[in-house]
Amino acid sequence: MDDMMELLEDFLVEAFEMIEEMDQDLIELENNPDDLDLVNKIFRVAHTIKGSGSFLNFDKLTRLTHHMEAVLDKARKGELRITPEIMDVILESVDAMKAILEYIRDNGNDEAPDVDIEPIVKKLDAIVNSEGVGSSSEEKEEKKESKKIGNLNLDEITVDNIDDIDVSQLSPEELDAVLERLVEDINTPPEEEEKEEKKEEEEKKEEKEEKKEVTPADKKEVAKAAETKPVSKEEAKQKVKKQLINAKEQTIRVDVKRLDQLMNLIGELVLAKNRLIKIYNDVEERYEGEKFLEELNQVVSSISIVTTDLQIAVMKIRMLPIGKVFNKFPRLVRDLARELGKKVRLIIEGEDTELDKSIIEEIGDPLVHMIRNAIDHGIEPPEERKAKGKPEEGTIWLRAYNEGNMIVIEIKDDGRGIDPEAIKKKAIEKGIITPQEAENMSDKEAFMLIFKPGFSTAEKVTSVSGRGVGMDVVKTNIEKLNGIIEVDSVPGKGTTFKLKIPLTLAIIQALLVASQEDLFAVPLSNVIETVRIVEEDIYTIEGKSVLKLRDEVLPLVNMADVFEIEKILEPEKYLYVVILGLGATKIGLIVDRFIGQEEIVIKSLGEFLKGLPGIAGATIRGDGRVTLIVDVASLMKLAKETHNKKLVTDSLKEAKKKKEKPEDYVVMIVDDSAMDRKIMRQALEPLGVQIVEAKDGIEALNLLKQNDVDAMLIDIEMPRMDGYTLAQEIRKYNKFRKLPLIAVTSRATKADRVRGVEVGMNEYITKPYTKEYLQNVVRRNLGL
Amino acid sequence: MGLGDIVKQQQKALTEPQEKQTEEIVQLVGFVVGEEEFAVPILSIQEIIKPIEWTRVPFVPDYVLGVFNLRGNVLPLIDLRKKFKVPAADIDENTRFIVMKIKGEDVAFVIDRLTSAIRIPKKNILPPPDTYSNEDDIIEGVGRLDDGRIITILKVDNLIKREEIVPEK
Repeated sequence: MDDMMELLEDFLVEAFEMIEEMDQDLIELENNPDDLDLVNKIFRVAHTIKGSGSFLNFDKLTRLTHHMEAVLDKARKGELRITPEIMDVILESVDAMKAILEYIRDNGNDEAPDVDIEPIVKKLDAIVNSEGVGSSSEEKEEKKESKKIGNLNLDEITVDNIDDIDVSQLSPEELDAVLERLVEDINTPPEEEEKEEKKEEEEKKEEKEEKKEVTPADKKEVAKAAETKPVSKEEAKQKVKKQLINAKEQTIRVDVKRLDQLMNLIGELVLAKNRLIKIYNDVEERYEGEKFLEELNQVVSSISIVTTDLQIAVMKIRMLPIGKVFNKFPRLVRDLARELGKKVRLIIEGEDTELDKSIIEEIGDPLVHMIRNAIDHGIEPPEERKAKGKPEEGTIWLRAYNEGNMIVIEIKDDGRGIDPEAIKKKAIEKGIITPQEAENMSDKEAFMLIFKPGFSTAEKVTSVSGRGVGMDVVKTNIEKLNGIIEVDSVPGKGTTFKLKIPLTLAIIQALLVASQEDLFAVPLSNVIETVRIVEEDIYTIEGKSVLKLRDEVLPLVNMADVFEIEKILEPEKYLYVVILGLGATKIGLIVDRFIGQEEIVIKSLGEFLKGLPGIAGATIRGDGRVTLIVDVASLMKLAKETHNKKLVTDSLKEAKKKKEKPEDYVVMIVDDSAMDRKIMRQALEPLGVQIVEAKDGIEALNLLKQNDVDAMLIDIEMPRMDGYTLAQEIRKYNKFRKLPLIAVTSRATKADRVRGVEVGMNEYITKPYTKEYLQNVVRRNLGL
Repeated sequence: MGLGDIVKQQQKALTEPQEKQTEEIVQLVGFVVGEEEFAVPILSIQEIIKPIEWTRVPFVPDYVLGVFNLRGNVLPLIDLRKKFKVPAADIDENTRFIVMKIKGEDVAFVIDRLTSAIRIPKKNILPPPDTYSNEDDIIEGVGRLDDGRIITILKVDNLIKREEIVPEK
């Protein structure tokens, strides 16, 4: 039983693959009806499926393919010319074949009650009988003659008289022919026998090989059973086997789940690698010049290289040529064009371009939708095209190519194009935009309106498009893949859609930036460049901030404003700007710091948080912290709103707080001894600054978060958290990067001082000290 | 005693222990947020951890503190004080993150301190009195413990809702 299941599975995989190929070949055949090689190829596919099908007792499938085969046989003998009408019938039978195969896959038998093959069979027969007038009865006679094998007249053999023949005496070739004859006899109703006789020679050749595996005795039994049809399945298997041997078994099938698992593991590995690099950097700072560093460096970099290579290798395994998706379109275009009475030619380019499997799976539906639209709305009916002086036959280009980290899929037609004014009018009618908005809209922006939910340009609803699921679904699907859609159209000339999709979804290169204290990862594919500017480079035009960069004027916004982050850092002399690009739009985004470029693994924020404006997901950094990943498309939208509302210059002022008098300053004293705290307090009081006190590091940290502190005096030896640790903790916060930290301690060795500098202390005062000295140090650090 | 009575008695004896078994015991974990003691079913808890660093997330209500990394997974962190509109407090050595599964997703909640594991018969849990503000339907009921403590039992699945967190466009 298991063997049988395995056979069935093999059969299905093979059959689906062959049918896919057949679909394309048929379309090609329609264009080159005289290509005999093509007809032969198609014939062989039909024949193989018929053979395997009959072996597995799929009578319905066998009957259908048998009749198809008859038509194709005529065509390949030149007795029949494939007209579009005939092609319709053939394609219809291919569809029925697919439906039956799907039913087999799901149910294990070919009853397929929904598929009625009789009308198709009739049509096929009609073609064979009527069109094939050329095939005279003489020819048929000849063929009957040729059906003799050895000294047997095959035509005389039937299921009823098989017992009269001594099977064990037959040569393998004869036996084979006899068996085949029996299969025919069982499968074919008498009136069809004649057509069936046109078994081609090559089939027999293939079957010879099978003999070695089956003993005559076995065969006899099989023949007696008279319902089993062992011949053709063996033949099909043999064929596959041959192919495999030819290819020297260079490929294996792998469950996608295993690849996904592998990809997840590599994701973890990348995270660990990032962490290792971070640790190495920390260690390097502390043990500069030590010999083991060199060795560690070598290990870290080789692990890093191998991880990257490994990742690329697995990514490549997951890559499939986009042809896998494109292949179904010739058929789609042909059917639609015929249905709508249009003439359409489809030109496919770049079908070898590779994409991640998960993307290939997602991209199919949007593409189908867009091609349907192009035929239905884009390409005009032949008369209209003629009247416009265009060729009657419309053309659709489907093109794929690589562009940096992205793959671009272009769907272009030479149809009537999109009229931006008509789109705007429609959008106003549907309440999607206001008339004022329409006025300020560029053509490109107007084209984008077709992606809004509830927008459909079809004047009449056809079965092809305009059923409510509009282009907004396409957009959602593409955005799910982090992709971008661009539309360009010239009324009367045609429309071009460009889909830009990242090659892979799981791991990307990102630029890490800090806005205030929050880190963000910006996909590097959208970063055009980074620049350092001064406030004077910012201009205000019509109440909006812009940056003049070479000969371009770019909208400029502060990232902190876009994400509504509280401003705590005072702006520095230089401002750092990331120039983001998305399609034709560019924008300058002010950040507070560039952290660097890193390879990041994208993780979802989960059901509850996904889809937040401007955020695509999160990644885990080398230090174990989570960093949010920016969704560039959504961020651009937010940035546009911010750009209309807020001037960058105003935003920069927000963080600047004026401090003039000594009372505006706060100094924190951290010491576990009340006595020492008192001494310091007394020393500082004459300065007029405000003073807060903490007993240990932990208390100090808490106080620091609540109070606006301008300098800290820190004792080193304290319970719970000592001064070194405290300084280290403080320096972890971006906003305390510049907070003056002054160690006040009785530990006076050189090692202590070095340690103090290491953890980020600005000054080191040893006890005992004079009042004046302490005052001076504090004053200097506050800038008083 | 007639035969019928004996049969009845036996039947009673057979069914009685089952009745006792069906008197369900609910197992809860108690914790404090603000002044009040709450509890959630023990089975909804994935794990309880000490506070670790988290990352802020923009455009969310204030009770969503952000996200954090729990062994390679990114989890949302919800502050129950803010959620229950109790004045904020500092994180101290008793503060814990309780990770619970809500609609198949792990979500962590900040609580002030754990109290104890609680076994309580189902009959001792009463529906929330009308005086409770229970707009979001987050209270399952109120339980009275043997020592007189009153605990509020939470409906874990209703503690956070996506539509309240991510603004729909």
